[in-house]
Amino acid sequence: MSLYEGSVRRPIMTSLVFIAVALFGLFSLQRLPIDLYPDIDTNTIMVMTTYPGASAADIENNVSRPLENVLNTVSNLKHITSESKENLSLITLEFEYGEDIDVLTNDVRDKLDMVSSMLPDEAENPIIFKFSSDMIPIVILSAEAKESLPGLYKILDDGVANPLARINGVGSVSVSGAPQREIQVYVDPARLEAYNLSVETISAIIAGENKNVPGGNFDIGNETYSVRVEGEFSDPKQLEDIYVGSYNGRNIFLKDVARISDSVEERVQETYNNGVQGAMIVIQKQTGANSVAISNEVMKILPSLQEKLPSDVKIGVIVDTSDNIRNTISSLGGTIRDAFIFVGLVVFLFLGRWRSVIIILVTIPLSLLSSFIYLAITDSTLNIISLSSLSIAIGMVVDDAIVVLENVTKHVERGSEPDQAAIHGTNEVYISVIASTLTLIAVFFPLTLVTGMTGVMFRELGWMVTIIMIVSTASALTLTPMLCSLLLKKNPKHSKLFKILYTPIEHALDGLDNFYAKLLNWSVRHRAVIIVSAIGFFALSMVLVKYVGTDFFPTQDDGRIGVTLETPIGTRTEVTRALAMKVENEWRQKYPEIQIMNFTVGQADTDNTFASMQDNGSHIVSYNIRLSDPGDRERSVIEICDMMREDLKAYPEFKKTQVNVGGGRGGSMSGQSVVEFEIYGYDFAASDAVAQELKDRLEKNVPGCQDIIISRGDYQPEYHVEFDRQKLAIHGLNSSTAAGYIRNRINGATSSYYREDGEEYDIKVRYAPEYRQSVEDIENIMVYNSMGQGIRIRDLGKVVERFAPPTIERKDRERINTVSAVVSGTSMDKVVKGGLAQIKEMDIPQGIDVQVAGSYEDQQDSFSDLMVLMVIIILLVFIVMAAQFESLTYPFIIMFALPFSFSGVFMALYMTGTTMNVISMIGMIMLVGIVVKNGIVLVDYINLNRERGIAVINAVVSGGKSRLRPVLMTTLTTILGMVPMAIGGGQGSEIWQPMGVAVIGGLTVSTLLTLVIVPVLYCVFAGVGIKRQRRKHRKAINKID
Amino acid sequence: MKSVFITFDQAHYEKILATLDRLNCRGFSYFQQVQGRGSKTGEPHYGSHAWPSMCSAIITIVPDERVKPLLDRLHEMDLETERLGLRAFVWNIEQTI
Repeated sequence: MSLYEGSVRRPIMTSLVFIAVALFGLFSLQRLPIDLYPDIDTNTIMVMTTYPGASAADIENNVSRPLENVLNTVSNLKHITSESKENLSLITLEFEYGEDIDVLTNDVRDKLDMVSSMLPDEAENPIIFKFSSDMIPIVILSAEAKESLPGLYKILDDGVANPLARINGVGSVSVSGAPQREIQVYVDPARLEAYNLSVETISAIIAGENKNVPGGNFDIGNETYSVRVEGEFSDPKQLEDIYVGSYNGRNIFLKDVARISDSVEERVQETYNNGVQGAMIVIQKQTGANSVAISNEVMKILPSLQEKLPSDVKIGVIVDTSDNIRNTISSLGGTIRDAFIFVGLVVFLFLGRWRSVIIILVTIPLSLLSSFIYLAITDSTLNIISLSSLSIAIGMVVDDAIVVLENVTKHVERGSEPDQAAIHGTNEVYISVIASTLTLIAVFFPLTLVTGMTGVMFRELGWMVTIIMIVSTASALTLTPMLCSLLLKKNPKHSKLFKILYTPIEHALDGLDNFYAKLLNWSVRHRAVIIVSAIGFFALSMVLVKYVGTDFFPTQDDGRIGVTLETPIGTRTEVTRALAMKVENEWRQKYPEIQIMNFTVGQADTDNTFASMQDNGSHIVSYNIRLSDPGDRERSVIEICDMMREDLKAYPEFKKTQVNVGGGRGGSMSGQSVVEFEIYGYDFAASDAVAQELKDRLEKNVPGCQDIIISRGDYQPEYHVEFDRQKLAIHGLNSSTAAGYIRNRINGATSSYYREDGEEYDIKVRYAPEYRQSVEDIENIMVYNSMGQGIRIRDLGKVVERFAPPTIERKDRERINTVSAVVSGTSMDKVVKGGLAQIKEMDIPQGIDVQVAGSYEDQQDSFSDLMVLMVIIILLVFIVMAAQFESLTYPFIIMFALPFSFSGVFMALYMTGTTMNVISMIGMIMLVGIVVKNGIVLVDYINLNRERGIAVINAVVSGGKSRLRPVLMTTLTTILGMVPMAIGGGQGSEIWQPMGVAVIGGLTVSTLLTLVIVPVLYCVFAGVGIKRQRRKHRKAINKID
Repeated sequence: MKSVFITFDQAHYEKILATLDRLNCRGFSYFQQVQGRGSKTGEPHYGSHAWPSMCSAIITIVPDERVKPLLDRLHEMDLETERLGLRAFVWNIEQTI
C-alpha cells in the first residue's frame, strides 16, 4: 500500500499525525525567544596588554609587534589589527566566520604563552577577551537628580546597578556620568617644603594611621577575649588632626599643610539627559543571552527600583534595543498574515470552491508550524531570517497541494469516486511533485553549507525553507489526498449568489486561456521573431545593470542615531560642554522627532567598562538620540542624519563629526555602509599627507561621501619631562623614581581607603589644584633622594612641549591610517569607484599603499560567496531536472527562464531605486529554484501530449493552454506572498524589502516570458530531433534499397 | 454456467465487487493491474507517464440466469461514468471440476 493510499484509507491516523505536528509546533512557538538576527558567533578575539609608562611608539615596538608576529600564525585568521596607545596595546584578531571561537581562543592562548617571555619585564600578562556584538549595550537608562547629585553614584550603584546586575543574562551594568566620592588631601607644596615633608611621607602616614590591627587573644579568668586596635577613620574630618611630623619642637598636623576635601573625583565624564545633568546606566548582556528577555526583566523591576530611590532621582530609558526587535518581529508577523490572506484569495479565485480552498490552505499552517520545531530544537529564535523564511515559503508550500488537488479534481470530474480519485490522482503526479520540491531544495539546502558571514546569516533560511518544503510535500502526498477523499463532492452544487459572483471570473479565466492559446499558436509559427526579440529584450535589460548600484546590507531605520563630535584635542570639558548644549538646543528645535537625547562629555573613569571601550576625552562629545517610531514620522532616520551632518558643517569648532544611523559606525549590519580606504605605510608624515589629500578629494569630488574621518588621531600636545641622566646620577636618583614623584603630585597618590557603610573610597594625596597649573609648577616639584636632599625638577632636566600621535594603528602587521566615509544618498560601488579614481590621480609616495576595505570588503566577500553558491545551485537544479526528464535537452530549455528572471530582477531594482545587496542577491538565488518550476510543469505536460501521439505544435499549444492556470496560480501565490514583504512599511522592513522586490520582479518577468519562450524553444529542439530521426530513417531505407 | 470477463478502470473496483455480492456471485478471480485500450473511444490505460490510469479485470463464473442482471447493472455503471471505461464479455463454460 502506497503512502497516499494508506493515508486515504486511514484518515484518522493521517489527520492526527498532522495535528500532533501542529501542536508540537505551537508549543515550540510559544517558547521561542525573539531576537533580531540568528545567533551569530563572534569572530573576533582581542588581546590586551598593558605596559605602564610606555609611549605609543614603545608599545608598538616592544609589545604589539612581537605579539602580532606570533599571533599571525593562528589558523583561519582573516585580519590582525592592533592599536598601540600610551600604556596599552590592543590587538584584534578577526577570524573567518563560522569557526569555533573556543578552539581559536585556545590557539591564541597557546601562542601567547610562547611569546610572553619575549615581552618587556614590566609589561603585564596579555589578557584575552572574546568580543562580540553582545558587548553593544542593550539598554541604556538615564538618571536625573537634583539634591542627590553629589551622592548619585552610590545611590545608583546600590539602588539600580546592583539589582540589575543580578538579572539572569546581564553581563555588566556600569554607571557613568556620576562622579564617585573621593577624599582629597590637597597639599600646599610651599608649606611641605618648609616643614621638610613630601607627598610620599604624608601618604605613608595616612596609610599608617588608617588601619585596624588585631592584637591577638588573651584570657581573663575563664573567658578568652581578643584585642583589637581600631585605627580606621570613622569620619574624613579625623584626617585633619593626624600628626605628620614636628618642626622646631612644634607638632605639625595634616591640616597645617593640606586642605581635606570630602568630595568627588576630579576628572569625570558628565552625562546630560535631555539637557539636565545626571547619570547614565549602561546594561550589557552576556554572550548568548537574549536581549528581549533581559530588557523585559529590566523594565519589569524598574518601577520597584524607582520607588526605593530618593524622590528627586528619576530613572528614564534612553535606549532599549529590544523595542526595535519587538517591533521588527511583530511587523514581520503582520507580513506573514498578509501573505496568507493573499495566497488564500488567489487560490479561491482560481479554484472557485471553498472546499478546495480549505484543502489547500490547511497545508500552510501545518508546514509553517513544523519549522518552529526545528527552531526550538536548535535553540534558535524568532528573528528576521527565520520569519522571513516563513514569508518566502508561504507562497510555495501550497504549490504541491495545488498540483495534487487539481489532478484529483480532474479524476472526480471524470466520474471517479472521490476516495478512488484521491489515490489515483495522487499516484499520477507524485513524481513531478517530488521533483519540483527537489529543485527548490537544490536551491535552499546549499544555503546551509555556505561559509563566511553570509553562511552564518542564511544557514537558518536554508534549513527553514528546506524543512517547510519537505513537510509541505509530505502533506501534499498524504493529507491533501485524504482531505480530497473526504471533502470533494462528485457533483458540487453552487448557490445562486456564488454563480453570480464567480461566473464573470470564470469567463475571464476562460478568455485568458483562449488568448494564451492564440498567442502560443502564433509564436510557435514565428519562432525566429520570438527568439530574436527575447534576446534583444535580455540585452536591453542588461544595460540596466550599470544603473543599479550595489551595496552590502540595506540600512535599517531603527530610530537611533549616535553622534560623536570632537573639538580640537585638549579643549577643556567646559568649552566642549557648552558647544554640545548649543548643538542639542538647535537639534531639539529643528527635529521634533527626537524623543530622547543624551550626551556625555569628558574623560571617562577607567573602571567604567562601557565608556573605556569608546573614545573619550575632554574634547569628545557623544550623543545618543532616540527618534519616534518610524511609523509616526515623515522623515526617515537617514534623512535626519543627512540634515544633521549639514547642520554640523556650520560649526567650525568641531574637528571631526560622525553621525551614525543605528547608533554605531559600520560594524553593525543595520547601519549605513562605510567605505574605508586603508593607507598602509610606515612613515607617519607620508601616510598622513596621503590621508589628508584623499579626504579633501573625497569631500570635493565624490558625491555621497559623508562624515569623512581619518582614523589616526590628532597629534596630542604633551609636556615631556626630559631628565638629564648625568644630573640624575649626581643626585643619586634614577628616571623612574623621579617620574614617580611627578606622578604623585599631579595625578595623586592613593594612600589608603576610607571605609563607610561597606563602601571604600580613595583617599588621594596630591598638590592642591592651584599648584598644578603651569609648566613652572612642574619644574618646581621637589624630588627627594635617598639622602633626604630635595632637588627641583628644573635642576634635573627640562620640560618641553611635544606632539605625538596618541595611537598607532596597524593592520596585518603594517602601520595603517584609514580614511573612512559613510555612504549616504548614493550606492556604495559609486563611492568606491569615485574614490579609486581620485587615488589614481593622486601622487602616492613610495612605500605607501592604498586599499579599499570596510563594508566594501565585506560585500565583495559575500558576493563572491553568493556567486559560487549560485553556480552550484544552477548545476544542482539542472541535475534534478535532467534526472526527472531523463534528458539533457529539456532542462536546458527550461533553464532559459533564468536569464529573463535576472532581467526582471534588475528592472525591478532599477524602477524601485533599490540597490543590489546581499539580501537582493539571496532573492535572486531563490529565483533559480522558483522560476524553473513553471518550465517543468509546461515541458512535462507537453511531453505527455507528445507521448499521447499529438504532433509537436499541437502538443505545445494544447499543453500550454491546459497548464496555464496551474502555472499562473502557483506563480501568483508566490508573488503575492512576497508583496507584503516588498511593500514594507513596518519597522525593520527595509531589511527584507530588496528580497521581495527582486523575487517579484524576477518571477513576473520570467513567468510571462517563459510562457512563450519555453514552448517556442521546445518546438525548435523537437523539430531538430524529428529531422534527425527522419534522416536516420531515410538512410536505413536507402540501405535496404 | 457462463463466464463473465469484466475489464474496468480501477476506480470501479469497489462498486463491481458490491454488485457481485448483491447478485450472489461468490466466486471470482481478480487481476489487479491490467493494461489495455478500448476499441473505439476508450482511452489507453497503460500506467505510463502519458497514460497514467490502469485497468483491472475480474473473471466470474455465474449460473446462466444471473448473467443478464449482472450485465445490466454493469452497463448502467458504465453509462454513469462513460469516460472511465468498463466492458464485460460473456462466454460458455464447457466443463468444470
